[in-house]
Amino acid sequence: MTTDKKLRWAYMDHWRIDTPQGQLSQYTSVKRFDAFLKQISAIGFEAIETFDFHLGPLRELFGSLEEARAFMQERGIDRVLSLFHAVMYDERQSAPHVRATHDHIFNYAQHIMRSSQGLGVENFIVMPAGLYYDVEPVTDDKLRACAELWNRVGKMTLEYGVKTCCHHEFFCGIRSAEQLRKFYEWTDPRYVFLCLDTAQHVIAGVDPIDLYLKLHDRCGGFHMKDTKHVDLAGDYRRKPDAEVMAPTTPRWFHEMGTPGGLVDFPALMAAMKECGYEGWVGVEHDKADVGGGNYPESTALSAWYIQHVLKKIYA
Amino acid sequence: MNDKGMNQRIKWAYGVNQWKAGFTSFARLEEIERALKVTAACGFDAVELNAGSGRWDPIGRPENVAINYGSAAHFRLKLAELGIHRVASTFFDPTVMSFEELHFGLMSTVPADRARIVAQARIHAAMLAELGGEVLVVRPFPSFWKEGGLDDERMAAAAACWNEVGAMAASLGLKTALHVDALSALRTVGEFERLLQLCDSDHVGLAIDTAELTIAGHDVVALYRRFHQRVVHFHFKDALAVDTLGEYRLANAERAMIAAGGEREVPRWFGEMGTGLVDFPALLAAMRELGYAGWVVVESDKGPEPIASGMMLNAWYRQNVLEPVPAHAQR
Repeated sequence: MTTDKKLRWAYMDHWRIDTPQGQLSQYTSVKRFDAFLKQISAIGFEAIETFDFHLGPLRELFGSLEEARAFMQERGIDRVLSLFHAVMYDERQSAPHVRATHDHIFNYAQHIMRSSQGLGVENFIVMPAGLYYDVEPVTDDKLRACAELWNRVGKMTLEYGVKTCCHHEFFCGIRSAEQLRKFYEWTDPRYVFLCLDTAQHVIAGVDPIDLYLKLHDRCGGFHMKDTKHVDLAGDYRRKPDAEVMAPTTPRWFHEMGTPGGLVDFPALMAAMKECGYEGWVGVEHDKADVGGGNYPESTALSAWYIQHVLKKIYA
Repeated sequence: MNDKGMNQRIKWAYGVNQWKAGFTSFARLEEIERALKVTAACGFDAVELNAGSGRWDPIGRPENVAINYGSAAHFRLKLAELGIHRVASTFFDPTVMSFEELHFGLMSTVPADRARIVAQARIHAAMLAELGGEVLVVRPFPSFWKEGGLDDERMAAAAACWNEVGAMAASLGLKTALHVDALSALRTVGEFERLLQLCDSDHVGLAIDTAELTIAGHDVVALYRRFHQRVVHFHFKDALAVDTLGEYRLANAERAMIAAGGEREVPRWFGEMGTGLVDFPALLAAMRELGYAGWVVVESDKGPEPIASGMMLNAWYRQNVLEPVPAHAQR
């Protein structure tokens, strides 16, 4: 598709739908998936990002991934831009800082590359280290081990035309500005890219605009979402879960434009413009339903913010 | 005029009525702001307001708008900031109780109620005019179960009422549109004919609500073709069932038929465009063919949560199905 737009918007899919059967994924039926696609298409999104565990349901619903993509395109959604790699982080089989598990992680990633053809995938998004409490103390050697793994994976995924992009959750083993600096210094810029998740970095105390300016030539994608909290209490190392169970913060993530949001999206757009970024921008709001919110409304509010605020800065 | 030109004569808006499910909802200003942002994000930059009652309805009455936004002029600027550049219309149903006007429902068919209906309509019409709106949409008759079948006398009383409202609204630069719904005492095409004969064609026209009239058993495309010269407004929503059992006659039909679904327990009467019985492409083709120039207010009119979903699905249908419909499309 030809376009004169510098930016195109993708939606990272965490939706769940309230149905008479309870809350369900939109990958449970063609009808639900159809309605999901129409909703995000109507407000200007042109691609989705999803998890690699949705490859199976897509194949089952449509017969093949090529047919799934054709169905999406009929509704205005061009491709599955990114697959988020759902690794079961565990030192017994897959922990990036444990070299003995690298073959297993690599082989699993290669399996996903082989089995995801047909959707138009461009990015393979990974959390580049396990949960912080599983990795700590975070040593240089552990960071080097992670870098070795993702250099190897990133080189392989490029053979499939896919960039490996690292996505640093605030509770991930690689989270601080210094850890990020070392990791990107020790990874090969040809093979390992950054997926800038604005809220996650802010929660971790890292300025996402500063990070973007430093690493913009390594940036393969974005997850644009907001937060109202910086983790000042060490929730990132809280067991068993920092993201949905932290007693300090019932809801970490909010849609762009939410009152009280800490991410400076206009400044980020200005930085992207200054750096000449062109391509896809992903929007995400995981856990939008925590506390009574809902995914469609959050998505439409993000779309409003894109249309009425961000596009005026850079489009 | 070519198809594109025709399309430009149709102006799209979205009704706000789906957001207020009860006394606690759509009452905080931030809820209204979020709702209007969702509306704008869906590509609708105009809205139809709903005449409301009570302090918990911040945009339903001029005094509430004044309390919450300072003035209608300020409210208009706030709407523009949210991406809503027009208020198309206001819907007013005199049979709904009003705390402010101290009544439990007024009847257009009762001559004694006429002055109070006109006075109440004037309050909403004045705010609508100040907001730059164009159409005062009114419920012309009470429900059948309250009113019974219409006779000449009550038909004439209602027509006189709406002629007076029409003249009042016209003095403010507005049109008045009669919006007949699924439960209305007015049922037949013949009654439509009679009503329109009695109403002043300069000021009072017809609103076609696709779902309400389909539920009531009408073919909305045929109805539009028959009365197109008097049609000044549309509400677009789909109908998922027809009242084949005549349950509009049930006592408390708003609850017994619409809310509870009647004997068949119809789970939902109204649906998003393209999911039910209304042939929207045929209707739009007829509207373009006959040169309709006015507002089309898309509605969700309640429905399952989340409300944003229904609106987003209607936005997709408008963009992908309705806007490409050429004037010559046939059913």
